[in-house]
Amino acid sequence: MRVSPKFTQALAVLLLGSATLLTLAVLFFVIAFVLVKGLPGVTWDFLTTAPKEMGKEGGIFPTLVGTILLPLLAIGIAVPLGVGTAIYLTEYTRENRMTRALRFGTDCLAGIPSIIFGLFGFIFFVVMLKMGWCLLSGALTLAIMVLPTIIRTSEEAIRSVPNAYREVSFSLGATRWETVIKVILPNALPGIVTGMVLGVGRSIGETAAVIFTAGSSLRMPLTVFDSVRTMSVHFYILAREGISNEKAYATASVLIISVLLINLVAYTMMHRFISKRAK
Amino acid sequence: MSDAPTIKIALKNFKFFQERKPLLNGITLDVVANRILGVIGPAGSGKTTFLRSLNRLNDLMPDTHIEGQLLLDGEDIYHPGFNVVSLRKRVGMLFALPVALPMSIYENVVYGPRLSGIRKRERLDQIVEQSLKAAFLWDEVKDRLQMSGLRLSGGQQQRLCLARVLAMEELEVILLDEPCSGLDPISTAKIEEALTVLKQKYTIILVTNNTKQAARVADDTAFFLLGDLIECGKTEKIFTVPDDKRTNDYVTGRFG
Repeated sequence: MRVSPKFTQALAVLLLGSATLLTLAVLFFVIAFVLVKGLPGVTWDFLTTAPKEMGKEGGIFPTLVGTILLPLLAIGIAVPLGVGTAIYLTEYTRENRMTRALRFGTDCLAGIPSIIFGLFGFIFFVVMLKMGWCLLSGALTLAIMVLPTIIRTSEEAIRSVPNAYREVSFSLGATRWETVIKVILPNALPGIVTGMVLGVGRSIGETAAVIFTAGSSLRMPLTVFDSVRTMSVHFYILAREGISNEKAYATASVLIISVLLINLVAYTMMHRFISKRAK
Repeated sequence: MSDAPTIKIALKNFKFFQERKPLLNGITLDVVANRILGVIGPAGSGKTTFLRSLNRLNDLMPDTHIEGQLLLDGEDIYHPGFNVVSLRKRVGMLFALPVALPMSIYENVVYGPRLSGIRKRERLDQIVEQSLKAAFLWDEVKDRLQMSGLRLSGGQQQRLCLARVLAMEELEVILLDEPCSGLDPISTAKIEEALTVLKQKYTIILVTNNTKQAARVADDTAFFLLGDLIECGKTEKIFTVPDDKRTNDYVTGRFG
Protein backbone atom coordinates (compact mmCIF):
# COMPACT_ATOMS: atom_id res chain seq x y z
CA MET A 1 0.00 0.00 0.00
CA ARG A 2 1.30 3.43 -0.84
CA VAL A 3 0.75 6.24 1.61
CA SER A 4 -0.07 9.44 -0.20
CA PRO A 5 2.68 12.11 -0.07
CA LYS A 6 0.07 14.57 1.08
CA PHE A 7 -0.63 12.46 4.15
CA THR A 8 3.07 11.97 5.06
CA GLN A 9 3.62 15.67 4.60
CA ALA A 10 0.75 16.54 6.93
CA LEU A 11 1.96 13.96 9.46
CA ALA A 12 5.50 15.35 9.39
CA VAL A 13 4.30 18.88 9.98
CA LEU A 14 2.11 17.68 12.85
CA LEU A 15 4.85 15.64 14.55
CA LEU A 16 7.67 18.14 14.09
CA GLY A 17 5.38 20.99 15.07
CA SER A 18 4.27 19.32 18.28
CA ALA A 19 7.84 18.39 19.19
CA THR A 20 8.80 22.04 18.89
CA LEU A 21 5.74 23.17 20.80
CA LEU A 22 6.39 20.68 23.58
CA THR A 23 10.00 21.77 23.92
CA LEU A 24 9.02 25.41 24.10
CA ALA A 25 6.26 24.63 26.59
CA VAL A 26 8.62 22.76 28.93
CA LEU A 27 11.20 25.54 28.77
CA PHE A 28 8.61 28.19 29.32
CA PHE A 29 7.02 26.26 32.18
CA VAL A 30 10.32 25.81 34.06
CA ILE A 31 11.30 29.45 33.73
CA ALA A 32 7.80 30.75 34.49
CA PHE A 33 7.46 28.44 37.51
CA VAL A 34 10.69 29.70 39.08
CA LEU A 35 10.04 33.32 38.22
CA VAL A 36 6.46 33.30 39.52
CA LYS A 37 7.56 31.80 42.84
CA GLY A 38 10.78 33.79 43.04
CA LEU A 39 10.29 37.24 41.54
CA PRO A 40 8.13 38.63 44.39
CA GLY A 41 11.12 38.03 46.69
CA VAL A 42 13.55 39.90 44.42
CA THR A 43 13.78 43.42 45.75
CA TRP A 44 16.54 46.01 45.76
CA ASP A 45 17.23 45.09 49.40
CA PHE A 46 17.45 41.41 48.48
CA LEU A 47 20.11 42.16 45.88
CA THR A 48 22.16 44.56 47.98
CA THR A 49 22.16 43.28 51.55
CA ALA A 50 24.01 40.43 53.21
CA PRO A 51 22.14 37.30 54.23
CA LYS A 52 21.22 36.71 57.87
CA GLU A 53 20.69 33.41 59.69
CA MET A 54 22.33 31.30 56.95
CA GLY A 55 20.18 32.97 54.30
CA LYS A 56 16.84 32.56 56.00
CA GLU A 57 16.58 36.33 56.17
CA GLY A 58 18.31 39.18 54.36
CA GLY A 59 19.65 39.32 50.84
CA ILE A 60 22.21 37.65 48.59
CA PHE A 61 24.77 40.40 48.01
CA PRO A 62 27.95 38.36 48.79
CA THR A 63 26.76 35.49 46.59
CA LEU A 64 26.04 37.95 43.79
CA VAL A 65 29.61 39.19 44.08
CA GLY A 66 30.86 35.60 44.17
CA THR A 67 28.82 34.75 41.08
CA ILE A 68 30.46 37.62 39.22
CA LEU A 69 34.03 37.12 40.48
CA LEU A 70 34.37 33.36 40.23
CA PRO A 71 33.41 32.92 36.55
CA LEU A 72 35.32 36.05 35.57
CA LEU A 73 38.47 34.77 37.23
CA ALA A 74 37.94 31.30 35.75
CA ILE A 75 37.53 32.72 32.24
CA GLY A 76 40.50 35.01 32.80
CA ILE A 77 42.60 31.91 33.43
CA ALA A 78 41.01 29.67 30.79
CA VAL A 79 40.98 32.07 27.82
CA PRO A 80 44.72 32.68 27.44
CA LEU A 81 45.39 28.95 27.87
CA GLY A 82 42.54 27.83 25.63
CA VAL A 83 42.99 30.35 22.84
CA GLY A 84 46.75 29.75 22.94
CA THR A 85 46.20 26.01 22.58
CA ALA A 86 43.71 26.55 19.76
CA ILE A 87 46.15 28.80 17.88
CA TYR A 88 48.91 26.27 18.36
CA LEU A 89 46.76 23.37 17.17
CA THR A 90 45.43 25.17 14.10
CA GLU A 91 48.28 27.42 12.98
CA TYR A 92 51.53 26.00 14.28
CA THR A 93 51.13 22.27 13.78
CA ARG A 94 49.95 20.11 10.94
CA GLU A 95 47.45 17.33 11.63
CA ASN A 96 49.47 14.54 13.21
CA ARG A 97 49.21 11.96 15.94
CA MET A 98 49.94 14.55 18.64
CA THR A 99 47.25 17.02 17.58
CA ARG A 100 44.74 14.21 17.21
CA ALA A 101 45.59 12.93 20.69
CA LEU A 102 45.27 16.45 22.11
CA ARG A 103 41.94 16.99 20.41
CA PHE A 104 40.69 13.60 21.59
CA GLY A 105 41.82 14.51 25.09
CA THR A 106 39.98 17.83 25.12
CA ASP A 107 36.84 16.17 23.78
CA CYS A 108 36.99 13.60 26.59
CA LEU A 109 37.57 16.37 29.11
CA ALA A 110 34.40 18.07 27.87
CA GLY A 111 32.34 14.97 28.65
CA ILE A 112 33.54 14.43 32.23
CA PRO A 113 30.94 15.22 34.94
CA SER A 114 31.70 18.43 36.77
CA ILE A 115 31.85 16.73 40.17
CA ILE A 116 34.96 14.87 39.02
CA PHE A 117 36.62 18.22 38.34
CA GLY A 118 35.38 19.32 41.77
CA LEU A 119 36.97 16.30 43.39
CA PHE A 120 40.22 16.86 41.53
CA GLY A 121 40.23 20.54 42.47
CA PHE A 122 39.57 19.67 46.09
CA ILE A 123 42.38 17.12 46.29
CA PHE A 124 44.89 19.07 44.20
CA PHE A 125 44.32 22.78 44.88
CA VAL A 126 42.55 22.75 48.25
CA VAL A 127 44.43 19.94 50.00
CA MET A 128 47.71 19.26 48.21
CA LEU A 129 48.62 22.84 47.41
CA LYS A 130 47.10 23.89 50.76
CA MET A 131 45.16 26.71 49.11
CA GLY A 132 42.03 25.88 51.08
CA TRP A 133 38.49 26.59 49.94
CA CYS A 134 38.86 29.85 48.13
CA LEU A 135 38.04 31.92 45.08
CA LEU A 136 41.31 30.93 43.40
CA SER A 137 40.88 27.16 43.93
CA GLY A 138 37.38 27.43 42.54
CA ALA A 139 38.42 29.56 39.58
CA LEU A 140 41.29 27.22 38.67
CA THR A 141 38.98 24.22 38.85
CA LEU A 142 36.30 25.93 36.74
CA ALA A 143 38.99 27.04 34.29
CA ILE A 144 40.03 23.43 33.74
CA MET A 145 36.37 22.52 33.36
CA VAL A 146 35.56 25.10 30.67
CA LEU A 147 38.91 24.79 28.89
CA PRO A 148 37.66 22.19 26.37
CA THR A 149 34.75 24.43 25.35
CA ILE A 150 37.06 27.41 24.91
CA ILE A 151 39.59 25.38 22.91
CA ARG A 152 36.95 23.85 20.65
CA THR A 153 35.03 27.06 19.90
CA SER A 154 38.28 28.98 19.34
CA GLU A 155 39.55 26.25 17.04
CA GLU A 156 36.36 26.39 15.00
CA ALA A 157 36.53 30.17 14.84
CA ILE A 158 40.17 30.13 13.75
CA ARG A 159 39.55 27.40 11.20
CA SER A 160 36.70 29.39 9.66
CA VAL A 161 39.10 32.24 8.78
CA PRO A 162 39.56 31.81 5.00
CA ASN A 163 42.89 30.29 4.05
CA ALA A 164 43.31 32.96 1.37
CA TYR A 165 43.82 35.53 4.16
CA ARG A 166 46.76 33.52 5.48
CA GLU A 167 48.31 33.21 2.02
CA VAL A 168 47.93 36.93 1.38
CA SER A 169 49.45 37.78 4.74
CA PHE A 170 52.42 35.45 4.22
CA SER A 171 52.90 36.68 0.66
CA LEU A 172 53.22 40.23 2.01
CA GLY A 173 56.11 39.16 4.20
CA ALA A 174 54.30 38.54 7.48
CA THR A 175 55.61 35.92 9.88
CA ARG A 176 53.24 33.32 11.26
CA TRP A 177 52.86 35.28 14.50
CA GLU A 178 52.18 38.56 12.67
CA THR A 179 49.58 36.73 10.60
CA VAL A 180 47.93 35.38 13.76
CA ILE A 181 47.85 38.81 15.42
CA LYS A 182 46.88 40.96 12.43
CA VAL A 183 44.59 38.70 10.43
CA ILE A 184 43.54 35.53 12.20
CA LEU A 185 42.63 36.71 15.70
CA PRO A 186 40.61 39.78 14.61
CA ASN A 187 38.59 37.59 12.28
CA ALA A 188 38.15 34.79 14.79
CA LEU A 189 37.42 37.11 17.71
CA PRO A 190 33.60 37.02 17.58
CA GLY A 191 33.67 33.23 17.64
CA ILE A 192 36.20 33.20 20.46
CA VAL A 193 34.06 35.62 22.48
CA THR A 194 31.04 33.40 21.96
CA GLY A 195 33.02 30.49 23.44
CA MET A 196 33.99 32.69 26.37
CA VAL A 197 30.38 33.57 27.05
CA LEU A 198 29.41 29.90 26.92
CA GLY A 199 32.16 29.19 29.44
CA VAL A 200 30.92 31.95 31.74
CA GLY A 201 27.43 30.52 31.50
CA ARG A 202 28.65 27.06 32.47
CA SER A 203 30.65 28.44 35.40
CA ILE A 204 27.70 30.44 36.71
CA GLY A 205 25.45 27.41 36.73
CA GLU A 206 28.00 25.10 38.33
CA THR A 207 27.45 23.86 41.91
CA ALA A 208 29.25 20.57 42.51
CA ALA A 209 32.70 21.70 41.41
CA VAL A 210 32.30 25.02 43.23
CA ILE A 211 31.24 23.65 46.63
CA PHE A 212 34.27 21.34 46.66
CA THR A 213 36.77 24.03 45.78
CA ALA A 214 35.49 27.54 46.52
CA GLY A 215 33.56 26.50 49.59
CA SER A 216 30.32 28.11 50.62
CA SER A 217 31.19 30.96 52.95
CA LEU A 218 28.57 33.68 53.15
CA ARG A 219 31.12 36.34 54.01
CA MET A 220 32.16 38.94 51.49
CA PRO A 221 35.34 37.80 49.68
CA LEU A 222 38.15 40.34 50.06
CA THR A 223 41.03 38.46 48.41
CA VAL A 224 41.29 35.51 46.04
CA PHE A 225 42.16 33.37 49.06
CA ASP A 226 38.74 33.93 50.65
CA SER A 227 36.01 31.37 50.34
CA VAL A 228 32.96 32.43 48.33
CA ARG A 229 29.46 31.18 47.70
CA THR A 230 27.88 31.61 44.28
CA MET A 231 24.15 31.99 43.69
CA SER A 232 23.91 28.43 42.36
CA VAL A 233 25.51 27.06 45.52
CA HIS A 234 23.42 29.35 47.68
CA PHE A 235 20.25 28.11 46.01
CA TYR A 236 21.35 24.49 46.40
CA ILE A 237 22.05 24.93 50.12
CA LEU A 238 18.88 26.92 50.81
CA ALA A 239 16.76 24.30 49.10
CA ARG A 240 18.58 21.21 50.35
CA GLU A 241 18.87 22.22 53.95
CA GLY A 242 15.28 23.49 53.88
CA ILE A 243 16.41 26.90 55.10
CA SER A 244 14.01 29.02 53.08
CA ASN A 245 12.13 28.06 49.97
CA GLU A 246 11.11 31.63 49.37
CA LYS A 247 14.73 32.86 49.37
CA ALA A 248 15.78 29.87 47.26
CA TYR A 249 13.32 30.73 44.51
CA ALA A 250 14.23 34.40 44.64
CA THR A 251 17.91 33.45 44.22
CA ALA A 252 16.99 31.11 41.37
CA SER A 253 15.11 33.94 39.65
CA VAL A 254 18.13 36.21 39.79
CA LEU A 255 20.26 33.36 38.48
CA ILE A 256 17.92 32.62 35.58
CA ILE A 257 17.77 36.26 34.61
CA SER A 258 21.58 36.51 34.67
CA VAL A 259 21.94 33.44 32.48
CA LEU A 260 19.30 34.79 30.08
CA LEU A 261 21.21 38.06 29.88
CA ILE A 262 24.48 36.27 29.17
CA ASN A 263 22.88 34.19 26.43
CA LEU A 264 21.38 37.33 24.96
CA VAL A 265 24.86 38.82 24.77
CA ALA A 266 26.18 35.61 23.22
CA TYR A 267 23.39 35.60 20.68
CA THR A 268 23.93 39.22 19.66
CA MET A 269 27.64 38.58 19.28
CA MET A 270 27.06 35.50 17.16
CA HIS A 271 24.59 37.47 15.07
CA ARG A 272 27.03 40.31 14.58
CA PHE A 273 29.72 37.77 13.69
CA ILE A 274 27.58 36.25 10.97
CA SER A 275 26.35 39.54 9.51
CA LYS A 276 29.90 40.93 9.51
CA ARG A 277 31.18 37.95 7.57
CA ALA A 278 28.34 38.17 5.08
CA LYS A 279 29.04 41.83 4.37
CA MET B 1 77.52 42.95 -25.84
CA SER B 2 77.67 46.22 -23.97
CA ASP B 3 74.21 45.99 -22.41
CA ALA B 4 73.76 42.31 -21.68
CA PRO B 5 70.39 41.72 -20.00
CA THR B 6 70.44 41.38 -16.22
CA ILE B 7 69.32 37.96 -15.05
CA LYS B 8 66.98 38.56 -12.12
CA ILE B 9 65.96 35.00 -11.40
CA ALA B 10 67.73 31.85 -12.50
CA LEU B 11 66.46 28.30 -12.10
CA LYS B 12 69.05 25.56 -12.40
CA ASN B 13 67.53 22.12 -12.89
CA PHE B 14 64.94 23.08 -10.28
CA LYS B 15 62.68 20.21 -9.18
CA PHE B 16 59.73 20.44 -6.82
CA PHE B 17 58.08 17.47 -5.13
CA GLN B 18 54.99 17.17 -3.00
CA GLU B 19 54.42 13.92 -1.13
CA ARG B 20 57.22 12.42 -3.27
CA LYS B 21 55.31 13.26 -6.46
CA PRO B 22 57.29 15.50 -8.82
CA LEU B 23 55.33 18.62 -9.77
CA LEU B 24 58.23 20.35 -11.55
CA ASN B 25 60.77 18.16 -13.36
CA GLY B 26 64.04 19.99 -13.61
CA ILE B 27 63.30 23.50 -14.81
CA THR B 28 66.21 25.54 -16.15
CA LEU B 29 65.21 29.08 -16.95
CA ASP B 30 66.53 32.63 -16.77
CA VAL B 31 64.14 35.47 -16.03
CA VAL B 32 65.39 38.79 -17.34
CA ALA B 33 65.01 41.91 -15.23
CA ASN B 34 62.53 44.63 -16.25
CA ARG B 35 60.64 42.43 -18.64
CA ILE B 36 57.34 40.61 -18.44
CA LEU B 37 57.60 36.84 -18.62
CA GLY B 38 54.32 35.21 -19.61
CA VAL B 39 53.86 31.63 -18.43
CA ILE B 40 51.34 29.56 -20.37
CA GLY B 41 50.32 25.94 -20.43
CA PRO B 42 47.30 23.73 -19.86
CA ALA B 43 45.84 23.05 -16.39
CA GLY B 44 48.11 20.89 -14.23
CA SER B 45 51.25 21.86 -16.10
CA GLY B 46 52.97 23.27 -13.00
CA LYS B 47 52.58 26.98 -13.79
CA THR B 48 51.25 27.89 -10.35
CA THR B 49 53.70 25.58 -8.57
CA PHE B 50 56.50 27.30 -10.48
CA LEU B 51 55.20 30.72 -9.46
CA ARG B 52 54.78 29.76 -5.81
CA SER B 53 58.29 28.34 -5.71
CA LEU B 54 59.61 31.82 -6.44
CA ASN B 55 58.29 33.34 -3.19
CA ARG B 56 58.38 30.03 -1.31
CA LEU B 57 54.64 30.10 -0.70
CA ASN B 58 54.80 26.40 -1.54
CA ASP B 59 56.42 25.95 1.86
CA LEU B 60 52.92 26.18 3.36
CA MET B 61 51.96 22.85 1.77
CA PRO B 62 52.71 19.73 3.79
CA ASP B 63 55.52 17.36 2.84
CA THR B 64 57.39 19.17 0.07
CA HIS B 65 61.00 19.16 -0.99
CA ILE B 66 63.08 20.60 -3.78
CA GLU B 67 66.18 19.79 -5.76
CA GLY B 68 68.36 22.02 -7.87
CA GLN B 69 68.77 25.75 -7.40
CA LEU B 70 66.59 28.82 -7.57
CA LEU B 71 68.65 32.01 -7.59
CA LEU B 72 67.38 35.53 -6.99
CA ASP B 73 70.11 38.03 -7.87
CA GLY B 74 72.51 35.10 -7.71
CA GLU B 75 71.47 34.06 -4.21
CA ASP B 76 69.92 30.66 -3.59
CA ILE B 77 66.54 31.37 -1.99
CA TYR B 78 66.22 27.76 -0.79
CA HIS B 79 69.51 27.96 1.10
CA PRO B 80 68.76 27.08 4.76
CA GLY B 81 70.00 30.46 5.98
CA PHE B 82 67.86 32.46 3.55
CA ASN B 83 65.33 34.78 5.18
CA VAL B 84 61.92 33.81 3.76
CA VAL B 85 60.14 36.83 5.23
CA SER B 86 62.48 39.28 3.48
CA LEU B 87 62.21 37.20 0.29
CA ARG B 88 58.44 37.66 0.24
CA LYS B 89 58.84 41.40 0.67
CA ARG B 90 61.08 41.45 -2.42
CA VAL B 91 58.93 39.04 -4.43
CA GLY B 92 55.27 40.09 -4.22
CA MET B 93 52.34 38.07 -5.45
CA LEU B 94 48.92 38.71 -6.91
CA PHE B 95 46.50 35.78 -6.60
CA ALA B 96 43.92 34.46 -9.04
CA LEU B 97 41.05 35.51 -6.81
CA PRO B 98 41.22 39.05 -5.49
CA VAL B 99 41.49 38.81 -1.70
CA ALA B 100 41.01 42.09 0.10
CA LEU B 101 41.70 41.55 3.77
CA PRO B 102 38.68 42.43 5.94
CA MET B 103 40.00 45.86 6.88
CA SER B 104 39.85 49.31 5.35
CA ILE B 105 41.29 50.11 1.92
CA TYR B 106 43.98 52.15 3.65
CA GLU B 107 44.95 49.34 6.02
CA ASN B 108 45.04 46.86 3.17
CA VAL B 109 47.59 48.96 1.32
CA VAL B 110 49.82 49.63 4.34
CA TYR B 111 49.78 45.99 5.51
CA GLY B 112 53.25 45.32 4.11
CA PRO B 113 54.82 48.68 5.03
CA ARG B 114 53.54 48.38 8.62
CA LEU B 115 55.18 44.94 8.87
CA SER B 116 58.40 46.56 7.71
CA GLY B 117 58.12 48.92 10.66
CA ILE B 118 56.94 52.12 8.96
CA ARG B 119 54.89 54.05 11.54
CA LYS B 120 54.92 57.69 10.41
CA ARG B 121 51.48 58.75 9.28
CA GLU B 122 52.68 61.07 6.49
CA ARG B 123 54.92 58.35 5.09
CA LEU B 124 52.05 55.82 5.11
CA ASP B 125 49.67 58.34 3.52
CA GLN B 126 52.23 58.92 0.80
CA ILE B 127 52.67 55.17 0.20
CA VAL B 128 48.91 54.68 -0.05
CA GLU B 129 48.53 57.42 -2.64
CA GLN B 130 51.50 56.30 -4.73
CA SER B 131 50.53 52.62 -4.71
CA LEU B 132 46.86 53.22 -5.49
CA LYS B 133 47.83 55.54 -8.34
CA ALA B 134 50.25 52.97 -9.75
CA ALA B 135 47.45 50.38 -9.62
CA PHE B 136 45.03 52.77 -11.41
CA LEU B 137 42.64 52.74 -8.43
CA TRP B 138 43.34 56.08 -6.73
CA ASP B 139 40.66 58.11 -8.52
CA GLU B 140 37.97 55.59 -7.66
CA VAL B 141 38.71 55.31 -3.93
CA LYS B 142 40.55 58.44 -2.84
CA ASP B 143 37.49 59.78 -0.99
CA ARG B 144 36.70 56.56 0.88
CA LEU B 145 40.01 55.13 2.01
CA GLN B 146 38.54 54.15 5.39
CA MET B 147 35.83 52.01 3.75
CA SER B 148 36.18 48.23 4.06
CA GLY B 149 38.15 46.76 1.17
CA LEU B 150 35.54 44.01 0.96
CA ARG B 151 32.98 46.47 -0.37
CA LEU B 152 34.89 47.10 -3.59
CA SER B 153 33.96 45.26 -6.78
CA GLY B 154 36.04 42.27 -7.90
CA GLY B 155 38.03 44.30 -10.41
CA GLN B 156 38.66 47.06 -7.89
CA GLN B 157 39.69 44.51 -5.25
CA GLN B 158 42.25 43.02 -7.61
CA ARG B 159 43.73 46.47 -8.22
CA LEU B 160 43.71 47.01 -4.45
CA CYS B 161 45.70 43.77 -4.15
CA LEU B 162 48.12 45.09 -6.76
CA ALA B 163 48.47 48.35 -4.82
CA ARG B 164 49.09 46.34 -1.66
CA VAL B 165 51.97 44.53 -3.38
CA LEU B 166 53.37 47.74 -4.84
CA ALA B 167 53.29 49.37 -1.39
CA MET B 168 56.21 47.20 -0.29
CA GLU B 169 59.36 49.27 -0.54
CA GLU B 170 61.61 46.24 -0.90
CA LEU B 171 59.63 44.99 -3.93
CA GLU B 172 61.68 43.82 -6.93
CA VAL B 173 59.64 41.05 -8.56
CA ILE B 174 55.87 40.78 -9.07
CA LEU B 175 54.31 37.36 -9.49
CA LEU B 176 50.83 37.21 -10.96
CA ASP B 177 48.79 34.02 -10.86
CA GLU B 178 46.05 34.38 -13.47
CA PRO B 179 45.22 37.79 -12.03
CA CYS B 180 42.46 38.49 -14.52
CA SER B 181 40.66 35.15 -14.56
CA GLY B 182 37.61 36.51 -12.74
CA LEU B 183 37.66 40.05 -14.08
CA ASP B 184 35.70 41.95 -16.69
CA PRO B 185 37.49 43.20 -19.84
CA ILE B 186 37.82 46.78 -18.56
CA SER B 187 39.40 45.77 -15.25
CA THR B 188 41.64 43.37 -17.19
CA ALA B 189 42.74 46.19 -19.48
CA LYS B 190 43.57 48.36 -16.46
CA ILE B 191 45.68 45.63 -14.86
CA GLU B 192 47.49 45.01 -18.17
CA GLU B 193 48.10 48.73 -18.59
CA ALA B 194 49.52 48.90 -15.08
CA LEU B 195 51.86 45.98 -15.82
CA THR B 196 53.37 47.52 -18.91
CA VAL B 197 54.21 50.63 -16.88
CA LEU B 198 55.46 48.66 -13.88
CA LYS B 199 57.99 46.61 -15.81
CA GLN B 200 60.25 49.66 -15.99
CA LYS B 201 60.76 49.28 -12.27
CA TYR B 202 60.11 45.61 -11.56
CA THR B 203 60.54 42.16 -13.03
CA ILE B 204 57.16 40.63 -13.74
CA ILE B 205 56.11 37.02 -14.13
CA LEU B 206 52.55 36.52 -15.35
CA VAL B 207 50.92 33.10 -15.29
CA THR B 208 47.88 33.08 -17.49
CA ASN B 209 45.37 30.65 -18.93
CA ASN B 210 44.56 33.20 -21.56
CA THR B 211 47.19 32.81 -24.28
CA LYS B 212 46.00 36.03 -25.91
CA GLN B 213 46.85 37.90 -22.73
CA ALA B 214 50.41 36.53 -22.84
CA ALA B 215 50.64 37.57 -26.49
CA ARG B 216 49.41 41.08 -25.58
CA VAL B 217 51.59 41.94 -22.61
CA ALA B 218 54.49 39.48 -22.26
CA ASP B 219 57.95 40.23 -23.64
CA ASP B 220 59.00 36.63 -23.23
CA THR B 221 56.82 33.57 -22.96
CA ALA B 222 57.46 30.21 -21.35
CA PHE B 223 55.37 27.17 -22.20
CA PHE B 224 54.89 24.55 -19.46
CA LEU B 225 53.49 21.06 -19.97
CA LEU B 226 53.06 18.40 -17.26
CA GLY B 227 55.74 19.88 -15.03
CA ASP B 228 58.26 20.41 -17.82
CA LEU B 229 59.38 23.67 -19.36
CA ILE B 230 58.93 22.92 -23.06
CA GLU B 231 60.40 26.14 -24.33
CA CYS B 232 60.93 29.77 -23.50
CA GLY B 233 61.67 32.64 -25.83
CA LYS B 234 60.58 35.99 -27.17
CA THR B 235 56.80 36.17 -27.22
CA GLU B 236 56.62 36.86 -30.99
CA LYS B 237 58.70 33.77 -31.65
CA ILE B 238 56.69 31.49 -29.35
CA PHE B 239 53.46 32.60 -30.97
CA THR B 240 54.66 32.43 -34.57
CA VAL B 241 57.57 30.06 -35.08
CA PRO B 242 58.06 28.00 -31.91
CA ASP B 243 60.76 25.36 -31.90
CA ASP B 244 58.58 22.66 -30.40
CA LYS B 245 55.55 21.20 -32.10
CA ARG B 246 53.68 20.95 -28.77
CA THR B 247 54.09 24.69 -28.22
CA ASN B 248 52.75 25.33 -31.67
CA ASP B 249 49.77 23.04 -31.05
CA TYR B 250 48.99 24.81 -27.78
CA VAL B 251 49.25 28.42 -28.95
CA THR B 252 47.22 27.69 -32.05
CA GLY B 253 44.56 26.08 -29.88
CA ARG B 254 44.89 22.56 -31.16
CA PHE B 255 44.98 21.14 -27.62
CA GLY B 256 44.97 22.21 -24.00
